[in-house]
Amino acid sequence: MSGHSSSMAPFAKMMIVAKDEWRYWLRSKLAISVLAIGLLLTLSSVIVTAINTMELSHTRHELQNDADQTFVDQPDRHPHRMVHYGHYAFRAPSPLSVLDPGVDAYTGNSIFLEGHRQNSAMFADQKQGTALTQLGSLTPAFIVQTLAPLLLILIGYSSVSRERESHTLTYLLSQGTSGFTLIAGKGLALMSVIGLILVPLTISALFSLHEGESIAAILGFILGYALYLTVWALLVLLFSSALSKNSESFTALALTWILLCVVMPRVASSTAITTVPAAGKLETDFAVIAELRKLGDGHNANDPAFAQIKASLLEKYNVDSIEQLPVNYRGVIAMTSEAKLTEVLNEFAEQRMQTEVNQTQVSRYFGWLSPMVAIRSLSMLTAGTSIETHHKFLREAEDLRFNFVQSLNKVHAERLTYQDDMNRNKDLDSSDKARVAATNWQVLDDFSFAVDKPSLRLQRSAPAFLQLLAWVAALIIVIRWVGKRLV
Amino acid sequence: MSYMFKQLSREWRFMLRQKYLLVLLGCAILISGFSVQSGLNEIEQQQQTIERLTAADAADRTDAQHKHDEIGMLAYYTFHLTYSAPSNLAFAALGERDIYPWKHRIKMLAIEGQIYESDTQNAELTQAGKIDFLFVISALSPLIIILLFHDLFANERSSGRHDLLVTTAKSPWALWGARGAIRFIAIFLCLMLPFYVGTWVSGSSLAAIGLVSFYCFIYLAFWALLSVYWGRNASSAPKVASGLIGIWVLFAFITPILGDLSINKLVHSPKGGDIVFTQREAVNDAWDLPKEVTMDAFTATYPEWKDHVAMQSMFEWKWYYAFQQVGDQIAAPMSQEYRAAAKKKYELAGYASLLSPPLLLQRMLTRLAKTDAVAAFKYEQHLRDFHQELRLYHYPFLFAQGEFDKGELDNMPNFEKFVTEQQNDRKTDSVQSTNK
Repeated sequence: MSGHSSSMAPFAKMMIVAKDEWRYWLRSKLAISVLAIGLLLTLSSVIVTAINTMELSHTRHELQNDADQTFVDQPDRHPHRMVHYGHYAFRAPSPLSVLDPGVDAYTGNSIFLEGHRQNSAMFADQKQGTALTQLGSLTPAFIVQTLAPLLLILIGYSSVSRERESHTLTYLLSQGTSGFTLIAGKGLALMSVIGLILVPLTISALFSLHEGESIAAILGFILGYALYLTVWALLVLLFSSALSKNSESFTALALTWILLCVVMPRVASSTAITTVPAAGKLETDFAVIAELRKLGDGHNANDPAFAQIKASLLEKYNVDSIEQLPVNYRGVIAMTSEAKLTEVLNEFAEQRMQTEVNQTQVSRYFGWLSPMVAIRSLSMLTAGTSIETHHKFLREAEDLRFNFVQSLNKVHAERLTYQDDMNRNKDLDSSDKARVAATNWQVLDDFSFAVDKPSLRLQRSAPAFLQLLAWVAALIIVIRWVGKRLV
Repeated sequence: MSYMFKQLSREWRFMLRQKYLLVLLGCAILISGFSVQSGLNEIEQQQQTIERLTAADAADRTDAQHKHDEIGMLAYYTFHLTYSAPSNLAFAALGERDIYPWKHRIKMLAIEGQIYESDTQNAELTQAGKIDFLFVISALSPLIIILLFHDLFANERSSGRHDLLVTTAKSPWALWGARGAIRFIAIFLCLMLPFYVGTWVSGSSLAAIGLVSFYCFIYLAFWALLSVYWGRNASSAPKVASGLIGIWVLFAFITPILGDLSINKLVHSPKGGDIVFTQREAVNDAWDLPKEVTMDAFTATYPEWKDHVAMQSMFEWKWYYAFQQVGDQIAAPMSQEYRAAAKKKYELAGYASLLSPPLLLQRMLTRLAKTDAVAAFKYEQHLRDFHQELRLYHYPFLFAQGEFDKGELDNMPNFEKFVTEQQNDRKTDSVQSTNK
């Protein structure tokens, strides 16, 4: 490092410092093996997750088509039987879930849709799991969020403190290199490592362009990770310059990593669960049932709850009895009660989703305390694998349910006479008469789930971006201050 | 004795002067305390939920039974709450209760259509994982131990005191032994004290407390000895620590992830969705099949009702519940395969965890706290057995014609009673088998 004149531009000096750092890494076995392991892990996680996601995406599309086809292929039937026969909705994974599968493995990705009920999503992968991956799974998101900072620490903890311990620091400074230039040079070297880590991530993200992901979302995603790793590079520089010994710098950084990456995310979720308690679905179901009792049973047209509907129908068509109505009274009741019931169900479902969002919000505030929490939310939100996207799926599946049930009820009201309907259990002939043709089953809307628009996802992740930017800004200020006092 | 005490008290005072050790110990007790506190909260919430659910369920059942008189209608509208309550030790190891459902409301319809419903917590929080005592011990404490022990020798060597200390000390044990022992006792107490408070609050059994303490002691000692051994000749503390943290990453992440990948490749299981689909199709097809087809399939399993299957009208409840049962029968092979695969995976994960101390500890403690997959399988089996009991209770009323006397409702199976009876049966069984 000697022999460079002090009149050089600061940037050129920074480059020299950075190159020298790389020379040191290449010479020391530890740094280079850590780097190799890190890249290998990132690469393998990208490949494994990509294969899994492609398989999933393929099967889900296939299952949805199968489900649509079986529904339409059903024979002639009483329309209400089709309401109970039901239908399935499958959630196709978002393109960026290759990099961050988010809640996918925990929510289940199929819903059975039927009349009078809102089922929860079923068959979360985790239930067939081995319980081995509770600490982390081989997803690019996990590797880069948790292990990459450790990698930066391992190769960077001594970047400045080493110079001090080997007494080269005073020499460097007395030659006219300012403290800040030195730190910035070391930082440049660390930034190039970050660049290396981001390469497999970026390439994989660009592949999702092909799956229909927008360039804005991809940029936001990669930028988020770049910011996150920058926070860690800055932390490494800060501790390395502020503490006088290698061992102190290492211990402090290791402890910081434990607290920010391992402890904080879990403290965040534990705090969220206990501060915003959420009643489970089972529990809200009781409230729903109580509410529904007031509405009457849609299977029983004589339920007194429907007296008013009956009266208004008779008045509307100007007839004396339900037998004389031009529509099937039982079908009309089924339709009205389904509409009212759905209103109640949706009200409770919305409440429940709101509680979940509130909970998640509490945990996301911890992003001000831990960059790891910030990048976790940013990553899931931008990739479209957060709880919000799951809620979107629930809402769209519910729309699908309501539409096909009501279309069937409409068929029930218009294509089947009240007399035939009432006699349906009399004998085989009457039972045949109380059926409608299978051509009426063409009532399904095409269901293909897509994640929210990129603009909305980016907008949602704005607070997390802010949190990361605040970390970067605060750290740069502190480092400038430390740099001036570097001795 | 007094000599040993002198060594220990010297090292104790020495430790109190080292600020970063105190910071580490402080962090340890804070985190452990937080984990125990949030574990206790979580269990408290689960218990309250069960209480509220039991009350609501009882009220709802009474209501339904009041409203309907016909046995078929009663069976259709009467729900039964089933649950598996958390054990006293569950606060320390919350385990997989947020992944496997521990509560269901079921009725007489086909069980395969009801059992996969999950009523779980916020998925995003579940994914982040929670902090319980088990997490602190199995995943975090190795790191704290590493930070405490890695520089035992290197620190003295790099500050040039090492040789002087070794020559002036009476024996290496008096110096390093006492220093190590003091650090170990301090960290052990910092981590375990909150747990002991927790067991006192939750009323865990002494045997369980003893076992947990024993396991944790062995586990922490393993990491402490590894750290000391790894660092015995090194002069650079950070190098020792990087190696140790590397081992930790290997044990905590790499081994489990590789184990998980290979187990999932090795064990094939039917898709859960297919089971429900098969069952649904069977039940729905039954409406259009000749009644005899359903009844024949039903009496193949329950021959005692052979003479009671004739039907007077196009719809009768006995036929309706018969085809629910037949739907289960058709889906049964797949369902068994699904459960067998889950069990197989759990078993294989046991072998994988032999290669990873943190996982091994997790398995042992969640088993002890009954919060693991085994406990979930057991609850599922209870649920299935109870459903069977429920069906068997209804069949005589459905098939043997005649009026249903509502007084009989008092004899209807009740999940809570059912589980206690089963447990008592098992106890008497084991008593009998030991008497033989």
